[in-house]
Amino acid sequence: MAAIPALLPSPSLREELARRGAGDAGKCYQCATCSSVCELAPAESPFPRRQMMLAQWGLVDRLAADPSVWLCHQCNDCTVRCPRNARPGDVLQAVRSLVIEKLAFPGLLGTLVARARVTWPLLLGLPLLFWVALLGLTGHLAVPPDLPAGAWGYELLVPHVFIYGVFFPVAGWVLLASIVSGRRFWKLIGSSGERRGTFAAALLPALGEIAIHKRFGRCSAAKPRQLGHLTLLWGFVGAAVTSGLLIVGMYVQHLAMPLALTHPYKILGNVSGALLVIGGAMLVGNRLGDRNASGTTSAFDSFFLGVVVLVIATGMTVELARLADAASFALTVYVVHLGSVMTLFLTFPYSKFAHMLYRTLAMVHARMTGIDTPR
Amino acid sequence: MERIGTFICTGCGIGEALDTQALAGVASELKCATCTTHAALCSPEGVAMIREAVDNGTIDGALLVACSPRVKTAEFTFDASKVAVERVAVREQVVWSHPPKDEDTQMLAEDLVRMGHTRLAKTQFPKPFTDTIERTVLVVGGGLAGLEAARAAAGMGHPVVIVEAAGALGGALASCRDALPDTPPFDALHPNRIPELVEAVRRDDRIRVLTSARLTRIAGQPGQFTVEVETAAGAEAFTVGAIVQATGARPYDASKLPHLGYGTHPDVITSQQLEAMLAEGALRRPSDGALPSRVAFIQCAGSRDPDHLPYCSADCCGTTLRQVATIHRDFPSVETAVIYRDMRTPGQLERFYAAVQNHPRSFFTRGEVARVGGNGRLAVTVANSLLGEEVSLEADLVVLAVGMVPNAADGEAIRALHDAQRRAQTGESETQREEARKIAEKLAAHEGTEILNLVYRQGPDLPALRYGFPDSHFICFPYETRRTGIYAAGAVHAPMDAAQATEDGWGAAMKAVQCIEAISRGEAVHPRSGDKGIPDFFLQRCTQCKRCTEECPFGTLNEDEKGTPQLNPLRCRRCGICMGACPERIISFPDYSVDAVASMIKAMSVPEEFEEKPRILALMCENDALPALDAAALRRTTWNPWVRVIPIRCLGSTNIVWIAEALSRGIDGVILIGCKYGDDYQCHYVRGSELAHTRLSNVQETLTRLALEPERIRVVELAHDEFERIPVILDEFASTLEDLGPNPLKGF
Repeated sequence: MAAIPALLPSPSLREELARRGAGDAGKCYQCATCSSVCELAPAESPFPRRQMMLAQWGLVDRLAADPSVWLCHQCNDCTVRCPRNARPGDVLQAVRSLVIEKLAFPGLLGTLVARARVTWPLLLGLPLLFWVALLGLTGHLAVPPDLPAGAWGYELLVPHVFIYGVFFPVAGWVLLASIVSGRRFWKLIGSSGERRGTFAAALLPALGEIAIHKRFGRCSAAKPRQLGHLTLLWGFVGAAVTSGLLIVGMYVQHLAMPLALTHPYKILGNVSGALLVIGGAMLVGNRLGDRNASGTTSAFDSFFLGVVVLVIATGMTVELARLADAASFALTVYVVHLGSVMTLFLTFPYSKFAHMLYRTLAMVHARMTGIDTPR
Repeated sequence: MERIGTFICTGCGIGEALDTQALAGVASELKCATCTTHAALCSPEGVAMIREAVDNGTIDGALLVACSPRVKTAEFTFDASKVAVERVAVREQVVWSHPPKDEDTQMLAEDLVRMGHTRLAKTQFPKPFTDTIERTVLVVGGGLAGLEAARAAAGMGHPVVIVEAAGALGGALASCRDALPDTPPFDALHPNRIPELVEAVRRDDRIRVLTSARLTRIAGQPGQFTVEVETAAGAEAFTVGAIVQATGARPYDASKLPHLGYGTHPDVITSQQLEAMLAEGALRRPSDGALPSRVAFIQCAGSRDPDHLPYCSADCCGTTLRQVATIHRDFPSVETAVIYRDMRTPGQLERFYAAVQNHPRSFFTRGEVARVGGNGRLAVTVANSLLGEEVSLEADLVVLAVGMVPNAADGEAIRALHDAQRRAQTGESETQREEARKIAEKLAAHEGTEILNLVYRQGPDLPALRYGFPDSHFICFPYETRRTGIYAAGAVHAPMDAAQATEDGWGAAMKAVQCIEAISRGEAVHPRSGDKGIPDFFLQRCTQCKRCTEECPFGTLNEDEKGTPQLNPLRCRRCGICMGACPERIISFPDYSVDAVASMIKAMSVPEEFEEKPRILALMCENDALPALDAAALRRTTWNPWVRVIPIRCLGSTNIVWIAEALSRGIDGVILIGCKYGDDYQCHYVRGSELAHTRLSNVQETLTRLALEPERIRVVELAHDEFERIPVILDEFASTLEDLGPNPLKGF
């Protein structure tokens, strides 16, 4: 049997991992505390101890192809208990960011987002500039003088056609990029030979698990994060459902916009908004708290969380500004909102947001191969 | 003893559980000078009462029917030249472990009184000790452990002579530039302090140093060893009281590790070779003299490997960490990779490990090295890691952290070799000579390995125990070897690092000083510390069977040409193994003899068969089994009331006559309870329990011939902490005997 030739570029690999927020893999001394406290580690697989060893050896390709890296919720039970402060949770997070960059389509965008520490003004600024330019050129950057006080909707400020015209193609592009990256990932982590059953049959239970964050809930160090993440997830789901219902409301039911605050759609939207605010605040609070429990916050993490917070904050402000009848302020915030939503969409396959794609695929893969046998 | 005073305590529930009047009646039936009952014998009044009887000469033997001899020792210690004390543990062995006011319980207590009385009656005062004892300590080997031992012994007021084979003091670590940290925060290299230590020893006028010296002969016994040494200045002789052997260790022969590339690749070196380089401030690849860009260290090179050294060499992890730290300090561009099976960093060394591992050019990985090969740059292939497949790394220099082999000579093997060589010449038949030649061939490696050159019947050096180290029993008796007055320290004693060797040097010096102090009072050393009795050999009846000279675990007995034992009483540890071995029963101690125990067995009452009260004799080792019995009693465990316990010094002191006596008296079974034996033996006299097992299995064969069931004899191993097993062992044996039926010899 030929041995794997290890690169062992220890200093440079250490720098690479350190850049991604995991500079301590070299400290691991293989005591197996992480594997014994990890709620995900299957009985026969030393997870994440083996991954720590791969990281030490510099066997990045093997780490990238390891689906179990994606089953980790970064609950940091391992990091909290690591006697050597080698921070396995951070190492796995660094590997995930590495995979997202590696599989990005096109690669340049992946690199751009991976370097968010430097590129974030560009990533946030360009979509914003795009909206300013689009609205400016079409004369929508100012509040129309005939705006009926107290009874206006945003359609009067930015016609819906602009929204559809921009976001449908953006969504299409993101879907395409995600499919390309998702296929690369699916190939990377396994082969059809080892998978049993259909994708769909494995997807449903995986989604069921995601819906209640069942396994994430078993983690102890990051309990508040699990709750925050779940809240945020359902906030997003609610917001997406509301958007769909509104389209139905406008074009099928021909409801008058804006809806009254007591309308069921409106209630759903506002509840979702509240969930987003609460969940976002919990996650930000978690990041600002104990570094061991939250994991090291790299630029990759803070960029994604920052965009999400910006989207939520501007979204809620937009509604409040309308209710307060402050049209000109509302328009300004609305433009920022549109820009940040576009950033969120466009960076989906390249930012931390991509975990939604990769983790789901890894969970499906795990179910299809039977490696998913937590203790 | 002529005038025995019996003192029965009624405290601690004894008075309530037993009919002490009847007990006193038993005592007065025996020959007693006085017989007194007291409510609390250990109270100041009780002790004063006994002391008065001793002081006014009323008694010369005190039979204390009270608690275990393991408790209240301060209260019940009297002037040993005036009175012998025998303690009958009715509290533990009767009252706490059997139902009160019961016929069987009372019978048990009465038997124990009879037996104790008999033992005391057979006890004699030890002869006064008048020998002169030399206080000098000889330290063999002037490495770290030896230097520390010398300084310690000198500090305790004993003259010291260091005999060092090399031309200078300091030993294996003398030339190292750096040392592992021994003060907080334990995270950086310290300067090597051995040169300072050598200087201190050189300046110390209580310590004499002989370098380039060789021991040619050590004769005699502790307190009176005559040592002959050869140096460049000529031969000289002197007397010492005790010896510390600190001859260190040598690296394992790396050429036996071809799979690690040693000998085939010039760039594979041992940690000692690296040490020599680093001491000069150099780091070079032997093949081309260039500075290596990556140095790989292979841990456990030969150690923890059944094909090489089965043990952990203890020092290699620390040495590698030290060398890695030196490289990072002196050669900042060099990367290091350490491949280990387990990094073993006891104590504060863990902090140093963490500091070294945190260095950006350090790489530590767990796995086993399958092979080292490659052309030009070396490839180290690592298997058995968690990675699930082999993985290889490149290095310019590979350092094997080879294990350590003790610089010890196996005295018993040398003796066996010399015996075989002699038989190969003088054997009676060709087959005998051929067999002897084969043995000599097998032992040929021991030829000329002598270090101490002891004039001992059992060989010229300490016997090697596990893995060739002369350690005796590291848990119970650290530093002890199987030669009284000779203590091993440092790496020859057990694999160890510098910190442990320092401590070990001090420990061995303290044992040496303790030994000199004890024997100057005529007392035994551990475990029978304070025992002044010396075995007496009635040589007129000796048949020169050599069993005693061969079986003594401590080499106490030399032999003359005919094979008659020659006693060296100061080597004796008083275990009585010779006494158990002697078929002629000519060996006895003033307070422990074949006759005394046999008489105790005779003193037991053996009820007739129809009474349905079987009797079991339990011979229990006083070192572990008896304390376990006390512990069981303390927890109020109950056991079979037919059992009569006789404490003995060691199962090895069991003379077969006792078994014969017991069975012929109609006692239904004999159980011997002693220490565990084998590789992880716990026998305080090393071989005693093992010898007992061998002897008893021979007896069982004899029993079968006599139509007695061999099951009537049982030997059980018991550890100190296994007190919970005691009732199980005794009850189970009793039920076996019940199944067998009564001893057919009962009543004859």
